[in-house]
Amino acid sequence: MKLLPGFAALALILGVVVAAFMGILLAAGPQAAALPWGYVASVLRFTLLQAGLSTAISILLGAALALALARRTRFAGRSVFIAALNLASVLPQVVAAFGIIAVAGRAGWLGEGARFFGFDPGVWLYGLPGILIAHVFFNAPLAARVFLASLAAVPGEHWRLAAHLGMRPPALFRLIDLPVIRREAPALAALIFLLCFTSFAVVLMLGGGPVAATLEVAIYEAVRFDVDFARAGLLALLQVAICLSFALPVLWLTRRPGESAATGADLARPDAESGAMRVVDAVVLALAGLLVMPPLLAVGLSGLAAFHSLFRADVAEAALTSFAIAIPAAALSLALAIGLAASARRLAAAGRVASASAMTMPGGLIPAVPPIAVSAGLFVVLRPLADPFGLAIPLIILVNALMALPFALRQVEPPLILSAERYGRLAESLGITGVWRLKLVDWPLLRRPFLAALAVAAALSLGDLGVAAFFGSGNILTLPLLLYQRMGAYRVAESASVALLLAILALMLFLAAQRWSEDPLARSR
Amino acid sequence: MLEAVDLTLDYPDFHARYTLSVPAGALCGLIGPSGGGKTTLLHAIAGFEQPSSGTLIFEGRDLLRLAPAERPLSILFQEHNLFPHLTAAQNVGLGIDPRLRLNSVQQAAVERALERVGLPGLGGRRPAELSGGQRQRVALARALVRRRSLMLLDEPFGGLDPGLRQEMIALVDALRREEKLTALVSIHTPEDLGEAADMMAFIAEGRVLAAGPPAEILKKGRDADIDRYLGR
Repeated sequence: MKLLPGFAALALILGVVVAAFMGILLAAGPQAAALPWGYVASVLRFTLLQAGLSTAISILLGAALALALARRTRFAGRSVFIAALNLASVLPQVVAAFGIIAVAGRAGWLGEGARFFGFDPGVWLYGLPGILIAHVFFNAPLAARVFLASLAAVPGEHWRLAAHLGMRPPALFRLIDLPVIRREAPALAALIFLLCFTSFAVVLMLGGGPVAATLEVAIYEAVRFDVDFARAGLLALLQVAICLSFALPVLWLTRRPGESAATGADLARPDAESGAMRVVDAVVLALAGLLVMPPLLAVGLSGLAAFHSLFRADVAEAALTSFAIAIPAAALSLALAIGLAASARRLAAAGRVASASAMTMPGGLIPAVPPIAVSAGLFVVLRPLADPFGLAIPLIILVNALMALPFALRQVEPPLILSAERYGRLAESLGITGVWRLKLVDWPLLRRPFLAALAVAAALSLGDLGVAAFFGSGNILTLPLLLYQRMGAYRVAESASVALLLAILALMLFLAAQRWSEDPLARSR
Repeated sequence: MLEAVDLTLDYPDFHARYTLSVPAGALCGLIGPSGGGKTTLLHAIAGFEQPSSGTLIFEGRDLLRLAPAERPLSILFQEHNLFPHLTAAQNVGLGIDPRLRLNSVQQAAVERALERVGLPGLGGRRPAELSGGQRQRVALARALVRRRSLMLLDEPFGGLDPGLRQEMIALVDALRREEKLTALVSIHTPEDLGEAADMMAFIAEGRVLAAGPPAEILKKGRDADIDRYLGR
């Protein structure tokens, strides 16, 4: 009974994933020989190419950006710059793609500017360039945030030692910065690779056609346009196999000892005064600014100009549907996360550490199970039993909840463990168990991370285009779908207002999550 | 001679003003309550903190004009003295060349320094493979190869058990006598310094409230603040 929440959550997660796998295998198996292997190989090749390049550029730019920000702790507009980076990394893909098109598309700012000088840049954006720009737009800021946090955790004594020993910038980079970057880079690169490998909205909007199709988009097209379940199954199988082979190393690599509490975050780095470093940092910051700022500005400015187009019935319907999906999806994700984490904690307290790890393992593996692959598998399994399109809303909620699970777990697991360490024995001795323990003992520590996780999960679900497009079948209209449809119909001004609305919602949820997750453990001490 | 006169540091919530003279070759123990300003004084001497006014002279040189790396001193912190990804020998070698381009003579000097602090043959180990005391010995070896005549030790043995603390103090005392170093050691428990200290300075609220021979400073009834600090 005490482990029931965990086992129930585990049963639901594994049930969905196993059913999806069965669906994929059923679809792919019997007709494998007749599949267009040349096409599959070209899709796979392009998926790997764009994900590999996106990851490499994001990691390099992210590391350079983190070092520049670590050295330049004061410059005009630094807080705005960092806010823009944060917004870029949490913006729904569909909104970022809109912003990039508004800047670099043929009719965008760059195109207009080029034509003013008598030069037509053509449609260079669509295909690999556009996909790379969008992926780096999201992931370089993400990488910078991770690297910056790790650099801030370097003990203050190391910076003092560097100054004391007279280390020049190259030695300082080799002896302090590089070990930090090398330690974080593998897991971060694997995560970014997974995100780019399974990216959907960006490829759909910026891919420019079948030549630049990725596995995720090809699965969607196989089911939705060609009704070719065998092809979809095979592509999904390939995708899951490749993602899993990356997810396991990620899990392994991210298990490393925690950082020391003595941080050098507030100390001036000895290399900050170097003239060469000033030039390097200026170039890196300018490059990142040029990548991130214009699309955000384009979303803001064009959205404000077309703000009146928000007051229409289809926008209201899309917003209502989006929230009707996002709120239950976030709640389900949180319920699953708390069930898993609480049961894992109980197992760990009983000395069953391996079982405890196994209990939360699905949270780490979910990123390796792409949403479109799960959707395709569920679609195939459900088709003989019911109309999957008729069950669209519950299915979208279910898949979105699963996709948000790793983020929810990351928020709620640490406070539950801390609560057990501090008050576990006291609660046991007083006989406080079950829901009462959650309410009386855990909730004061859990409340803020819980709200943060809720905001993150809701933001992820609100920005989802892929799953909603897969099951939507034209009957369901969410905000990202509405934006995509308006873009497809060349209603650019009307798209802009929806993009701005989505950006504002994402920003509000991100700020709420950031506020609630702000060192929750320290607050409780 | 190390001489700080009205060395002033201003922070939003802390104001410090130090005046202290330490004779050349002496070992001066800095004692006082936590948060009283012992570390701030050591960091100001090392160049990590910038005084707003005052003078700081060592062996006739104005230290305030020098960058941290140019000051004729070595410093040991309580922890994080070593880079975890470098071996003990490499950590010592940083004291000779921060780019770690050491020739055979310099490498031999590193080996010798490790021997002098009682770690022969352990140069290939990384900090994680050494005990707390051994890690501090490596940091001491680095201070030796730097060949600077002022040594600052900021609660360097606070994390060690009492027996090991005594052993390390004895090692510091022996090394500073051999090398004719002036040493400032901030310490929690004055008894740990035993006979090693030539003088003690009691620091509280950002001031040197008393300085002189240990027997005089620690004498019961001499100063109410010191008595309170020592729990008398």
